[in-house]
Amino acid sequence: MASLVELRNVYKIYGEGLESEVRALDGVSLTIEKGEFVAVVGQSGSGKSTMMNVLGCLDIPTRGDYFLDGTDVRELTDKALSRIRNKQIGFIFQQYNLIQSLSVLENVELPLIYQGIDPIDRRDMAMEALKRVGLADRYRHKPTQMSGGQQQRVAIARAIATKPPIIMADEPTGALDSRTGLEVLKFLQQLNKEGSTVILITHDNGIAATARRIVRLADGKIVEDREQEVDWL
Amino acid sequence: MNIRQAFKMAWKSIWGKKGRSALTILGIFIGIAAVMTIVSVMEGMKQKSMEQFEAMGTNRITVDIYSWSWDEEGNQISKDYFPDLYDYCNSLKEYVVGTTPTAWANVTVTYGTKSSANMEWEYDDNWNVISAPPDQFYGSDQYSVCNNLTIAKGRDLAYLDVESYHQVCVLGAKAARIFFGTADPVGKIMQVNGQNFEVVGVYAARVDPDSSNAQMDNFIVYPYTARRVLGGGDITQFLVKARDSESMTETISRLGGFLKGLVDQNTGGYNVYSESRWQEQSNEYLTMISLVLGGIAAISLVVGGIGIMNIMLVTVTERTREIGIRRAIGAQRSSIVAQFLIEAAMLCGIGGIIGILVGTLGSVVLSTLLMQMTIYPPVKVTIGAFALSVALGIIFGIYPAAKASKLQPVEALRAE
Repeated sequence: MASLVELRNVYKIYGEGLESEVRALDGVSLTIEKGEFVAVVGQSGSGKSTMMNVLGCLDIPTRGDYFLDGTDVRELTDKALSRIRNKQIGFIFQQYNLIQSLSVLENVELPLIYQGIDPIDRRDMAMEALKRVGLADRYRHKPTQMSGGQQQRVAIARAIATKPPIIMADEPTGALDSRTGLEVLKFLQQLNKEGSTVILITHDNGIAATARRIVRLADGKIVEDREQEVDWL
Repeated sequence: MNIRQAFKMAWKSIWGKKGRSALTILGIFIGIAAVMTIVSVMEGMKQKSMEQFEAMGTNRITVDIYSWSWDEEGNQISKDYFPDLYDYCNSLKEYVVGTTPTAWANVTVTYGTKSSANMEWEYDDNWNVISAPPDQFYGSDQYSVCNNLTIAKGRDLAYLDVESYHQVCVLGAKAARIFFGTADPVGKIMQVNGQNFEVVGVYAARVDPDSSNAQMDNFIVYPYTARRVLGGGDITQFLVKARDSESMTETISRLGGFLKGLVDQNTGGYNVYSESRWQEQSNEYLTMISLVLGGIAAISLVVGGIGIMNIMLVTVTERTREIGIRRAIGAQRSSIVAQFLIEAAMLCGIGGIIGILVGTLGSVVLSTLLMQMTIYPPVKVTIGAFALSVALGIIFGIYPAAKASKLQPVEALRAE
């Protein structure tokens, strides 16, 4: 059976051929199996954000192959990539990336809208996700009326509303204080226990300690890839 | 993503920026209102001129006979052609119902204290004519037949009146009302240029005396031979009324032949033409004017459309991050295109609806002021205006929407 995620000798090069060319990913090969909890760790500029963009089908590698659940991503149309992002991946961003003009419920409903789910089911699914993050009573609020931790929980609800097999979190605790940050990490661990594959991108070794596997990036290359004992929160 | 959802989303975005949306649709709204007003006022003018032509009757032929010769003292050599024309028309009974000179009588008519010399145009609150100086014409005993007139009181002009220079006149319904009120004018003596003229009859009203077209019945007809005492130049224009539209062509061609023999081509000439030509021409003019004015208004629509495009481009820039978020969580390019297209179309549609309301008001007010009648825009114009505004939104929304959909998710997410 194919691995869930498989990168083979992937390059992402900006301004290739120029003197100023930047090799954000420099021949990376990585395999992630279903159900893993992987932390991609690296300093800023190490290529970890590019890695997340490539893994999340937000960006296409310059060279190399990326198989997602056996499908060659480089062969896919923009439409098919959109569908993968919609159904297979739930994104959690450092800046929450909620749409400010929409209510909490509408934000969580958004990926379901793009799936074409009818309004009644959609509302049920979104409310269920909000219940899981403990914000069901706030569904009518606007993101601006909430604290950072609450906004990130809304973002998590949005990511899990479609029940995607992969959760991708880019510095999810970066804008939060340590206590609310821990809550978020605990939630990610919980999702992993329930069977989701979680990919956590961070610069913080302490945070990476919550993952079972650590992949360390430096200058676009993988310099370390190891399993570790987990601090269960 | 379904359409209902897309509309809800667009409405949210428009309502969320009320002030800006209002300013944005200003151009569309002004353009639509102007187009609506112009088109409906022009339609009304056509309708009104049609009514006037219809009241005068159809199947009318105009005959012009003129001369360009002068005698040794410099006076134009004149000849009264009407008796010959009259006799000829009487011989064509199969095709012709009547003939009359048509000439303005430039005279002053007085009865008691009322005189055409000092009458003012007076209107009531609805801009209907209450009082105005009457139009005065010279005619034959067939004047009434040629002008769709029937006698209501007294008698019509008779052949003998014309033949024997009788100083008599017949009044139109409105003229009778203006000069005599509710009294019976028949048998009364009016002073025309100081001469006594007896009112022998009153014609029935052709149009509603309280309508804006009432002036059509405000007239006095004298036998054309009264020129001997009242003065005035030669009569050069005559009216021949054909029996029906089928007789028109035959009558015109026969009159042509007759006049060829009657009028000395070395000293003058003649013209025979159907009066409906005037109506066609007046319609052509009105169509041309409405095209020109409509074109000017259409420019404001284009300018308004460019305004929409501009604002939509700003919106796309402002919402780059939102577009990135939507793309990241699974929106396809087509969904982004639909979102911005629907928003632009909805903006313009709202502008269109307000424009239609204001345009309706405008055409009612303007038609009242200009034509003393109330015109509502035709339904097809209203529907057309709405369709036009939505189409403008789509046309000018394409570029911004395409731009939004082409944003790369990664780049868009990085935007502030």
